Amino acid sequence: MSSIAAPVNSASQRSRSVPTAVITLGGLVALIALWQFAVTGLHLPPYILPAPLAVLRALWSGIAVAPSSPLGWYLPLWSTLRNATFGFVIGSGFGLAAGSGMAESAVIERLLMPYAFALQCLPKVAIAPLIVIWFGFGDGSKVAVAALLAFFPVMINSFTGLRAIEPERLDLMKALSATRLETYRLVKLPNAAPFIFAGLDMAVVYALLGTIVAEFLGAQQGMGVVITQAEAVTDVAGVFAALIILGALGMALHALVRLAEKRVVHWSDRGQNQGGRA
Amino acid sequence: MATIATSQPSAPAPSAGETSKPLIALRGVAKTYASQRHGALRALDPVDLDLADGDFVCVVGPSGCGKSTMLRLLAGLDVPTEGRIWLGDKIINGPSADVGVVFQAANLLPWMNVRDNIALPLRVGGRQSVPEARIDTLLEMTGLSEFAGRYPYELSGGMQQRAGICRALARDPRILLMDEPFGALDALTRERMNSELQRLWLEARKTVLLITHSISEAIFLADKVVVMSPRPGRILECLDVPIPRPRSYDTLVTHPVYAGLAREIRARLTQAEARA
Repeated sequence: MSSIAAPVNSASQRSRSVPTAVITLGGLVALIALWQFAVTGLHLPPYILPAPLAVLRALWSGIAVAPSSPLGWYLPLWSTLRNATFGFVIGSGFGLAAGSGMAESAVIERLLMPYAFALQCLPKVAIAPLIVIWFGFGDGSKVAVAALLAFFPVMINSFTGLRAIEPERLDLMKALSATRLETYRLVKLPNAAPFIFAGLDMAVVYALLGTIVAEFLGAQQGMGVVITQAEAVTDVAGVFAALIILGALGMALHALVRLAEKRVVHWSDRGQNQGGRA
Repeated sequence: MATIATSQPSAPAPSAGETSKPLIALRGVAKTYASQRHGALRALDPVDLDLADGDFVCVVGPSGCGKSTMLRLLAGLDVPTEGRIWLGDKIINGPSADVGVVFQAANLLPWMNVRDNIALPLRVGGRQSVPEARIDTLLEMTGLSEFAGRYPYELSGGMQQRAGICRALARDPRILLMDEPFGALDALTRERMNSELQRLWLEARKTVLLITHSISEAIFLADKVVVMSPRPGRILECLDVPIPRPRSYDTLVTHPVYAGLAREIRARLTQAEARA
């Protein structure tokens, strides 16, 4: 059975994986071709849609400078990345703490849950102007909005993951007279790790979103400032280039979280034959 | 707790005067679970049972007959609603280091390797340092030494349960409780695990209470087979197994008492099921 299944499996994997790359690349080429055609064929002015080459030129002009140049991508990118990262760490930290508190204590759950959901139903970027008033136009407001957006997915995923513990595993710790902290640290937290990482994965993208929104509202530096400045002079190619940079940054952050997840939760999916109830 | 204190005037401590004082004595032990949807659920009718030090007792019974409930009570995971469980001259009312539990399907923690899983009982519950030599001995005893650094998902079901047994033995308890430990294994692996368990037991002479569905497994392993009725569980019969050890599956079925014992256990189980 397995000797037959193995080659079939690898063959089907190969026949699927190669076209995936081809399709992705082909789609990109088609998109750029369509884009170029729209610009030249439909005579769209560059302040509506710049040509692909113009965007590439704008992109390159920000790359081919000294890292400290005010014309380059590096300074605003660093500012945005730093604030998003701080916001992500702070928001996730509070999210994990709140989720843990709610999972461990029914009182805390009943206390926080209604507000947590009210907060989630509120479009949080609408609070951003208020935060800018409170924290000013500096880095503080960027970090705060990023943290606010990163908080919820981590909180709700930690809560769900910590509650999704198999009763057999709790029985094991109870039979060993483990303390509550030991049970949390050695069993509940690792058990919840796949959930928590799913939350972190969302949170890292939300933190970037929050930072950009706060930068739109007023900032001295950052990619949000670059975009608003380019927009002010209808440098649409510059806006496109900034969006490409932000897209790449978001994907890189997402990939980093996934990498960390693979390192930490190496046993997930493969450990599912564990703890089954007979 | 109050119900225990006031109930069962007929449940005295096992008398100290007896020559073979049981290590564990269940006296009128019953359990009713409060369930919001179904009202009270009677899992276990009053049960009396003695386990002498070094006994190997197997409990057989249909699914949901309260076998696991009885084991949970012995492990201190639940508290009986009636009656008392004596461990020596103390009443069991919570988990104890004298009791090791082997769970169904091993119940190892997938994020810890074999060594860390086995060391878990030595790390928690106010323990500070892990005696590495103790873990080495256990690994060696069960043939897991080469697999100490592996993770549970890298092991077969039989090896996982070997690690589960090591973990239960880590604190060197006097009593080993096993809840259908080999139920998830194929027949051949199960027989091999039975033989290994017998060897371990002959070496260490723990008091073992093992729950199983398998009549042959019960006869192979036990000094005493306890047959239970469907829910609410009661003890229908206690049968001694006078087959000399070490036993082997090759000769077990041809032993003169085997067929009679198996027939009697089966008859008890089918009778009880027909009545239920």
